[in-house]
Amino acid sequence: MAAAAPALKETPQTAPRSGARLLVSTLEKLGVEVVFGYPGGAIMPVYDALTGSGLKHILVRHEQGAAFAADAYARATGKVGVCMATSGPGATNLITGIANAMMDSVPMVCITGNVSTAVMGTDAFQEIDILGVTLPIVKHSWIVRDPADIPSVIEEAFHVARSGRPGPVLVDLPKDVQVGMTGEDYGFHIPNETPDLDHAAIAAAEAMIRQATRPLLYVGGGVKIAGATTALRALAERTGIPVVSTLNALGSVRTDATGYLGMLGMHGTRAANEAVQESDLLIVLGARFDDRATGKLNEFAPHAKVVHFDIDPAEIGKLRATHVAVIGDLKAGIEALNPGPLAIQPWAARCIDNAARHAFRYDAPGQGVYAPALLNELSHAAGETFVAACDVGQHQMWVAQHCAFTRPEAHLTSGGLGAMGYGLPAGLGAKLACPDAHVVTVSGDGSFMMNIQELATLRRYGIALKIVLLDNSSLGLVRQWQELFFAENYSEVDLSDNPDFVAVAQAFGIEAFRISRREEVTAGIARLLAAPGPCLAHVLIDPKENVWPLVPPGKNNAEMMHGDTRFEGDI
Amino acid sequence: MTDTLNIQIDRADGSLQRLIGLVERRGFHIDGLSMADEGATRRVQIKVRGRDAGRCTENLGRQIDKLVGARRVTFAPQAYVAPFQTEAAA
Repeated sequence: MAAAAPALKETPQTAPRSGARLLVSTLEKLGVEVVFGYPGGAIMPVYDALTGSGLKHILVRHEQGAAFAADAYARATGKVGVCMATSGPGATNLITGIANAMMDSVPMVCITGNVSTAVMGTDAFQEIDILGVTLPIVKHSWIVRDPADIPSVIEEAFHVARSGRPGPVLVDLPKDVQVGMTGEDYGFHIPNETPDLDHAAIAAAEAMIRQATRPLLYVGGGVKIAGATTALRALAERTGIPVVSTLNALGSVRTDATGYLGMLGMHGTRAANEAVQESDLLIVLGARFDDRATGKLNEFAPHAKVVHFDIDPAEIGKLRATHVAVIGDLKAGIEALNPGPLAIQPWAARCIDNAARHAFRYDAPGQGVYAPALLNELSHAAGETFVAACDVGQHQMWVAQHCAFTRPEAHLTSGGLGAMGYGLPAGLGAKLACPDAHVVTVSGDGSFMMNIQELATLRRYGIALKIVLLDNSSLGLVRQWQELFFAENYSEVDLSDNPDFVAVAQAFGIEAFRISRREEVTAGIARLLAAPGPCLAHVLIDPKENVWPLVPPGKNNAEMMHGDTRFEGDI
Repeated sequence: MTDTLNIQIDRADGSLQRLIGLVERRGFHIDGLSMADEGATRRVQIKVRGRDAGRCTENLGRQIDKLVGARRVTFAPQAYVAPFQTEAAA
């Protein structure tokens, strides 16, 4: 993977430049438009060189915000996200964001300053071995020790970040390398390697699909990454095979498509989980058998053989035995897959009927705001350009269950890492990437406080991000688990002393208003979406509301708890 | 059950640490380790043993294949003979 590519040396620049200027010009040459970051002592030469460059630098208020914003910028555009920070605390503050990108395979280049090479290893001021600290959570990393190496390392960094299975990379730039002069200006042209399609494996997959009577497409985040959304939809259409989606794949198939059964797993739909448990063939497309999707692994899809498509050979057989593996570009693989006419109509019809019978309902009694209904209405009101940037918790699961998505880039969520604090900086990054879209951060009162300082970034740049803050005065998902699995021992989940979020937002100079009753929802959504600048809707919801269905941790996906008749039509 | 992995790694910042960390992180004991200098590259032999029955050495090999600047030279469940050596300063 990512073998060293032949370098074509271009005409060297003769005028000597500093490493910092070379970095900036290399980023410009690579087409970078936006960089998220925060300056500090060990990266000051780079910030000096940024002045007057073609790069738009967004000054966040915490480095974690820079990493999350770059991550979301990448997810929303398919480009490589870029963030930068100084040494020591600046670099360590990036870590949660780097881990987030690693877990969800997001292409991101992180540039850190460091102390000069001469004092590295001496516990110098703000010295941290950030290369060592980040080893488990990067796809690759470099320390640049010669300014002449900057162009080649940066170009290789972008190539590694976006090729194959994407991921974050880190480039550590000691201060002496930033100020050192060089006349070199190498240009690396790294070809994108497209592995040959494995026609024998495709044929074997087709044969297995023809033999199946209850096949199911299990779609993961790899479909979006590979740009295979159209190919997937065509496959589902020409075969009639029902589809279930992971959290990170939501929108790969339109959520209103016939044959789409919903998300599988812990908070998946009944139709999706039951289909998986009954299936005799899982066609896994860019998914990785995550435990939140599978539940108890050895009881997951107990009757199913597995056909697994993935660009990453290490995912094949990692958690579940595979009968046919198709390793390579997902788009090419899906386009080539044509098993011919299938006799699966009774199965498909049963799945579709099950989805209709167990569709979520939004006619909950009472006058309080019913968050699932609000989120469903919000997504429909925002329409085709809706982009949801979620935080982590109950609201995240409600977004996944209840929002309508027409494309996978519309759903930005911290899937693998589950990092509270993602929502606000992610929304900020996505809105910069897609200024014409209705980008909405959906957050909770716990998550929002983790990166609330980025309200200042919205204000500074006039980023018209919309925020729905669902406030249940508690850490709701933890509270739900304590209710269900810890004998209602509510330990450290009460947030009833939250600040006045409307006043807080207004103090940052951001329009804000409150929704506390159901009849205010429709007008509130309209006001939020119509606001010309950033706007926050503080929504008071019932602290006792739970996310249903729920597969208890460690149980198999057939053991769904429903708990609340409002969600399930026939209980 | 132990397996021996032979891996060639580039002489780059963190390359040995990256390899060893991956092996341990993916659930393997390291029962033996040796390294030989090859100039621009280094040859590493690692004797590994899964922490539980669910750990598959072939899958570990595929994870190693993904490391930038690392290549599996051989993968054979063979006897381990090389003596332990400490890493020379890179």
